[in-house]
Amino acid sequence: MNTLKGTLPQEETSTAMVFDIQRFSLHDGPGVRTTVFFKGCPLRCLWCQNPESWKRPAEMAFYEQRCERCFACEPACPKDAIVRDAKHRIDFSRCDACGDCAAACMNEALRTIGKPWLLTTLFEEIVRDKDFFLDSGGGVTLSGGEPFLYPDFTLSLCAMLRQAGIHTLAETCGWFDSRLCELIAGSLDAVFFDIKHASASAHKTLTGKDNGLIIKNFMALCELMKDIQPRMPIVPGCNDDEENIRATATILRKAGKQSIHCLPYHSLGNDKLMRIQSSQAPAAIQPPTPTELERVKTIFKEEGIHAVLYS
Amino acid sequence: MQSCTHEALQKNDGITGERVRLLKKAVMDAAPGICTERALIWTEYFKRKENRSKPAVIGMAEALSEVLGRKGIAIHPGELIVGNFSSKRVGGSIYPELHGLPVMLDLFKFSGRETNPLRISLSEKLRLAGIVPFWMFRFLGIRAYRSIPKKVRLLFDQLIARYYLINEAGGISHFAPDYERLIAMGMDGFAQEADRLQAGVQKHSEEWNFYEGVKIIAEGVSCFGERYAELAERMSGTEPDTQRKAELQQIAQACRRVPRHGARSFVEAVQSLFLVQIALNLESLDNSVCPGRMDQYLYPYYEADLAKGIITREKAHEILCCFSIKMCEIVPVFSRHLTNFHGGMFNGQVVTIGGVDRDGKDAVNELSYIFLEIMDELRMRQPNYHARVHAGSPEEYLDKIFSILSAGSNSPALYCDEVIIETMRRNGYSLEDARDYTAVGCVEPVSQARSFSSTDAAIFNVPLMLEMALNKGLRFGRPFRSGAKTTAPEEMKTMEDVKAAFEKQLRYKLIDLMDDLQAIERANRDYHPTPLTSMLIRGCLDKGTCSTAGGAQYNFSGIQCVGPADTGDAMRAIEQSVFIEGKFSLRELAEKLKRNIPDDKDRTYLKRIKKFGNDCEEADRWVRYVIETFASTLSSLGPNTRGGKYVMGLYSVTAHEYFGRINGALPNGRRRSESFGSGISPSNGMDKEGPTAVLNSMNRLDFHAAGNGINFNMKFDPHSLRGPEGRKALASLVRTYFHRGGMQIQTNVLDPSILIEAKDNPKLYPHLLVRVSGYSAYFNDLTPAMKNELIRRSYLSCL
Ligand code: SF4
Ligand code: SF4
Repeated sequence: MNTLKGTLPQEETSTAMVFDIQRFSLHDGPGVRTTVFFKGCPLRCLWCQNPESWKRPAEMAFYEQRCERCFACEPACPKDAIVRDAKHRIDFSRCDACGDCAAACMNEALRTIGKPWLLTTLFEEIVRDKDFFLDSGGGVTLSGGEPFLYPDFTLSLCAMLRQAGIHTLAETCGWFDSRLCELIAGSLDAVFFDIKHASASAHKTLTGKDNGLIIKNFMALCELMKDIQPRMPIVPGCNDDEENIRATATILRKAGKQSIHCLPYHSLGNDKLMRIQSSQAPAAIQPPTPTELERVKTIFKEEGIHAVLYS
Repeated sequence: MQSCTHEALQKNDGITGERVRLLKKAVMDAAPGICTERALIWTEYFKRKENRSKPAVIGMAEALSEVLGRKGIAIHPGELIVGNFSSKRVGGSIYPELHGLPVMLDLFKFSGRETNPLRISLSEKLRLAGIVPFWMFRFLGIRAYRSIPKKVRLLFDQLIARYYLINEAGGISHFAPDYERLIAMGMDGFAQEADRLQAGVQKHSEEWNFYEGVKIIAEGVSCFGERYAELAERMSGTEPDTQRKAELQQIAQACRRVPRHGARSFVEAVQSLFLVQIALNLESLDNSVCPGRMDQYLYPYYEADLAKGIITREKAHEILCCFSIKMCEIVPVFSRHLTNFHGGMFNGQVVTIGGVDRDGKDAVNELSYIFLEIMDELRMRQPNYHARVHAGSPEEYLDKIFSILSAGSNSPALYCDEVIIETMRRNGYSLEDARDYTAVGCVEPVSQARSFSSTDAAIFNVPLMLEMALNKGLRFGRPFRSGAKTTAPEEMKTMEDVKAAFEKQLRYKLIDLMDDLQAIERANRDYHPTPLTSMLIRGCLDKGTCSTAGGAQYNFSGIQCVGPADTGDAMRAIEQSVFIEGKFSLRELAEKLKRNIPDDKDRTYLKRIKKFGNDCEEADRWVRYVIETFASTLSSLGPNTRGGKYVMGLYSVTAHEYFGRINGALPNGRRRSESFGSGISPSNGMDKEGPTAVLNSMNRLDFHAAGNGINFNMKFDPHSLRGPEGRKALASLVRTYFHRGGMQIQTNVLDPSILIEAKDNPKLYPHLLVRVSGYSAYFNDLTPAMKNELIRRSYLSCL
């Protein structure tokens, strides 16, 4: 990867792995938006609801609910990787994600997750909904995974979108090369920045990386740009204890922030782990109750921070 | 199921809310039944020797007057607006001279029809049986042609309705009466006008007879009102409750006055039009007699009453609620056959609010807001509430509409003034008359009080034309050619050849349709003139000509293009598979279609070719081609016998399912007898990219070609539109769609119960997308546990 060669080249041939493009997104920033989900993430959160975003390369997923056990996929596979398991259809030790089985499956039970997008093609895909963005005050949201895993690509894309008058917003986990901060501040209209845990060691246990770089980037970005909104997943038993909330509030105050958006954990992504190749077991976490959420909100309030609860 | 939100009636507490609640309950609880009165009295009238030789228009006026004079009447507890459509609290009449015969025959064949069962007692059945022989050779369909073979052919054709169905054989209706003048001058006003005009024409001439008919029915309707006055007086005499007694006296006063004379107050205005609404439904056909722009013509009465201090906003709200509930007391009685095309209990009585006035200025007023409240609170089957929107519509009005819609109500349907007015202008309406449009029936724009457009004249099976184009003019699997002779598929070398064959088939069958339809038009004119309707449409009195004979100022006929998305998608699939990829030869493809696409692989391949509704130019332009071809072919075939144009409508009610059952496989991967897409909506389950993509596709079509309106139904999952963001997003979608040339839209926020249905039957909703923040999925992808979780959340989010 050729991160940061000084100026960012707008190579037409530049590509990034994207696993979903969701048009008419309403709850990822203002107005009507198109959300682009980049594939690949430096963190491994225990509660992740998008595990298909972890690995960068394309991978296969099997939707058991759709499978009619016709086995049209079997002869299509050049690697002899199709199995007649009740719960799965692919032996991942042999599969190289060529996607031939998905093409043969008539029920969309096998799908390729992630494909490389050319910068220009992705730009064209996004501007299709420009009329709706402009009318509603919406735009594009870069999400993932981690959009800044592809800094050249995402920042060039933002420059092109800005040229086209489209509002740009990125949702980041904050784990990226600090030298990017200035470029991000210069080319994006807004950033949603995740603070998952205030303690470095807890952060490492929960997500696989400590938060040193993340907090550093957060502080730096807050200096550089105005429209940066801290966010926090509320995951019972992981980060919703009083100590962490107060510590998080301290970080926010230091950065000059008055509010945080709280996203309650939900289990709707639990299905996904079974579909892909993953060693991770589904987290045994219960979604927070409304009372728990209110408790979090109150502690933040005591710390002078306005917590906005998402539903 | 009514959606779960809503403070509903809490807004009006006390007696007002209670009255409305009880009236609604009584109507909702009543089991719909069949009323025999109209059929029996009508028959008695026409059986009498002396009546058989009378001019048709006089016979009609007398027969209807007799029905109005003899039918049972009732005033129900708590009512402020009175009048009953039928002898049942909720009931439908039979029109033996129109489409009633198959209905009556059905009654004996089937004890309980599954769809729309209607109650009827054995003695009522027997009495209806008694009149069947009389109408056997007198109903409209059989009178259309003189020659016996043609009669038989038409009846047989219409019974199967493969290529088209002529609704007009069941009567015309579909208009917005001149209630403005009715309210102002009453029946006597019209009678005087007819009398004056009659003096200028030769005695017993056609014009003279017409005026005579108008005078007879004006008197008949006036007496009908007076019957209610008497009943109310009698009831008030014995009424123990003093408040109800006073109400009954007021009802008596109002009905003494209207509809004979002009109304003096708001409540009289509503009473007047409602009684005439009943009479009109009994005259021609109980389908789409539309009050139309009620917020406009009632407003002066509301304003005057406010100034006099004899009404409050709350009172007007209550009166209009009573009216609205009354409009639900009618149901159509269709034969089993017709139920295929007009599913649901649909009377199409449209009330339209908002939009611009005749001078182009915004016309929203307080009554518009009251109607918006009422449609949201009541959420009943009738009337059909529609709202007009234009660039200058007030923010408050739009806000109110979008909050109602995003909370799950599927009315009002929305209409774009700019596009509709321009379309009507192009078809010959004056600017003022176009601005004064209302929808009638389902979605068809007509000028209030000025149009007599048979907007639901016929529905046409377009995909079948492509089937025949791929098979030299034969339907798949049939031994004989029923269409035009066109080139064999192996000789078609380009898409141009396919288009030429399709166009030839289309024209051939549309000409057949025109022959039959015009025979029906003449039969309506000769055997079923409608003097009451004509009195209430401008132009008829001046010309001395019945509306069925072209008396109205504007005379269109609407022919519905059913299956445009499937046809366009199919042509796109031919282009891609045969002429671009060379996957099959056209002959091979046609063979596969004849055999119903036996290989699933081929079907998957065909289904995966991008379809209309996914923001894909290559697909969308074929749908555009289909509708433009249909519209231009139609317009080359006019005028109708009333002197008006044939115009295309893009809506299908339930005909897309019926025609779907008839047709063979199509190149878009649709197998034999699968349903087509509804109206101009993308074919079933084929819009996978969400609402913005659908709207981008929609905006690639030119709706000015659809003079008879379009129905575009857009469904949203129960999560998407929650909260203020949801409302704003919906507003933005509609604004953008209209601004870019969209004509009409009806939104439908799916009730959470849809998810339960989708869980039990995944095939019904193959691409139902559900969204929770940061998460979206096709419902069918989920495990049962996750589906349950989403169902639970959906119910929560609309509490
Ligand atoms: S082709 Fe698809 S439906 Fe058939 S067995 Fe394979 S995964 Fe299942
Ligand atoms: S993706 Fe390719 S290698 Fe993997 S199972 Fe499917 S066909 Fe076989």
